[in-house]
Order: sequence, then C-alpha cells, then structure tokens
Amino acid sequence: MRTLTPLQLFIIFSKIGMSGFGGVLPWARRTLVEREKVLSSEEFSAILGICQIVPGPNVISLSVCVGSRFCGVRGAIAAPLGLILGPIIVVLCIALMYEHFSYLDAVKGALRGITAVGIGLVAATGFKMLRDELRYPAMFIVVIATFLAANYFHLGLGWVVLIISPLALFLASKKARIS
Amino acid sequence: MSILLGFLVKLAALSLIAFGGVNALLPTIFDIAVNQEHWIDAQTFSDYFALAQAAPGPNFMIIALLGWHVSGILGAFLATLAIALPSSVLIFFLQRIILGIQDPIKKQTIQYAAAALAIGLIFSSVWQIALQINHGVAMNALTIITIGLTLFTRWHPLYWIAIGAALGAFGLL
Repeated sequence: MRTLTPLQLFIIFSKIGMSGFGGVLPWARRTLVEREKVLSSEEFSAILGICQIVPGPNVISLSVCVGSRFCGVRGAIAAPLGLILGPIIVVLCIALMYEHFSYLDAVKGALRGITAVGIGLVAATGFKMLRDELRYPAMFIVVIATFLAANYFHLGLGWVVLIISPLALFLASKKARIS
Repeated sequence: MSILLGFLVKLAALSLIAFGGVNALLPTIFDIAVNQEHWIDAQTFSDYFALAQAAPGPNFMIIALLGWHVSGILGAFLATLAIALPSSVLIFFLQRIILGIQDPIKKQTIQYAAAALAIGLIFSSVWQIALQINHGVAMNALTIITIGLTLFTRWHPLYWIAIGAALGAFGLL
C-alpha cells in the first residue's frame, strides 16, 4: 500500500474540496481512485459504505476514514482540514461580495435561480439513492414512513430517527437475507 | 459569544443524528436560524443556501455562512467544526468495529437501514425547505426540471447552477 504523509493527504483533499460543486463525493472517487490511484474502486466503495452508515457529513467521514487509513490520527485530522479549509475561505469571500451587491435586482434574481436549482440537486441525490431500493421495494415503506413522520406528524429529526430506525432495521434484515 | 456557543452545541448534537448528511438537516437549521433565534429571515436563508450551492466544497457551507453571520470569521470556522467534529470522532472509532463485523448479513442490514433512512430524511428535508424558500410556479418548475435533467443526463451540476442564475438574473423567476 502506498504511504501518504499528512501534508499529501491535506493537498489531495484540498483538491477534492475545491473541485466539488453540487456534491463532493463524485470528485472524491475521481481523485482518489482514478487520478491519484491511492485506492482501488472496491476499496473506495467499501469505505464509502461505512461512512454512509454513520450520521454526519458523509464526505467528511470519508476523509477521516481515508486519512486514518494512510496516516493514523494525524491523517484523520489533515484530510478533513484540507477538505474544508479552502471552501470556507471561498464561501466567505462570496459572502463579502453578497454583503455589497445583494441589493441589486439581478443578484437577487440570480440567487433565486440558484436556490431553485440547488433544491433540485439535493432532491436528485435522494432519487439516485432511491434507485438502489428498487431491488427490494418494501424499503419504500421506510422512506414513506420517514417522510410522514417529519411532514405530517411534524416530528423533530431526532424523534424521526429514533422511531423509524427499528422499522428500517427490520426491513433491511429481510432485504439482506434476500440479496 | 453565548449566542455562538448555543449554536455550536446544537450543531454538535445535530451532527450525531444527521443521517443523509447536512442536506437532511436543512429544515432543522432553518427552524433554529429563522424561527427560534431570528438571526436571519427566510429570504436571507434562501440566499445563503444559494451561495453555498454556488461555492465549491461540501454542501454544508451554509453552516459556515450562518456561523459567519452570528460572529464573523471565527464563527464560520467554529460552526463548521461543530457540525463536522462529533461525527468525525464517531466514525474514527466506529470504522474498525464496522470493518470487523464478520457476518455479511448483519453488515448489509445496517447499511440498507441507514440508506433507506437517509433517503427518507433527504426527501423530507427537500420538501420542507422547498415550501419555505421556493416561491412561485417558476421556481418550483425549475427545481423539477433540475431533478429530471440531473437524473437523465450526465452534465456537470455547475451548468444547471449557471443556467438557474442566468434565468433569475434576467428576472424570469
């Protein structure tokens, strides 16, 4: 296995962070697997699988796992720092411009357009993940129950997770036995 | 400073239940920032959401913007840390345990359950947040078109963001 120093991890994940628009995960795969060739495609998928189990920003979890794999605790710190440092600076610069120009009608309009597209992009992530559920449609019950708990019964996020988890685990165990 | 501290504690707690990532948290964050604390109005939240989408990087940059609004550059960094650190520590220790699960059925069960939960939460989040910040037929139509085009073409999302910005700038939304 190739070894990577914390600095190298920081730089690789900086590149990933700065090139990701509308979701960073596809870029993480492209950079780690195809360009830098530090992970095989199977290794990447396995790590991503672990990261999607736990809550929190998935791409941050991914950087922690990859970082710790190559360089222990120091890697687990360097990789996520690289991932977020550049984007924070950029978004703060954009925020400063926003302060100065947000009164312009064209800017207001452009932001409305980006909002509408952005909501569509987030929804599309959900639909893409939904494709994998087609194999065992009973899992749709979990999706619908979650949606109803949040939108019809107006439960907070913590309660939704707590109440739906047993149902999700029950149906998932059936799905796992079938496939 | 105590305002920031309260926000950081809430973010840290949310970090540990955010199945589906920060996208699933958007309505909760909206509720805190707009309804409970009155830091910003719905329009500004919508603008921050757009700025975060237009910037590179993980899509939780809206958290950095809120932190910045509450207490400047330090707030931006601390808010990002608060949303990212707890789940990072969790995964750091959990990854070996999860890798160590020998029974493939057990492993898949957890994976499938988390995935289904994440999908449900993302849809709930999109629905609630669209009701709050999408106004009018044109914006909703653009959202629906974006979903369709993202699913059935392989264009880079940046194109859709640019097209949305142009449509809006010309006053069509």
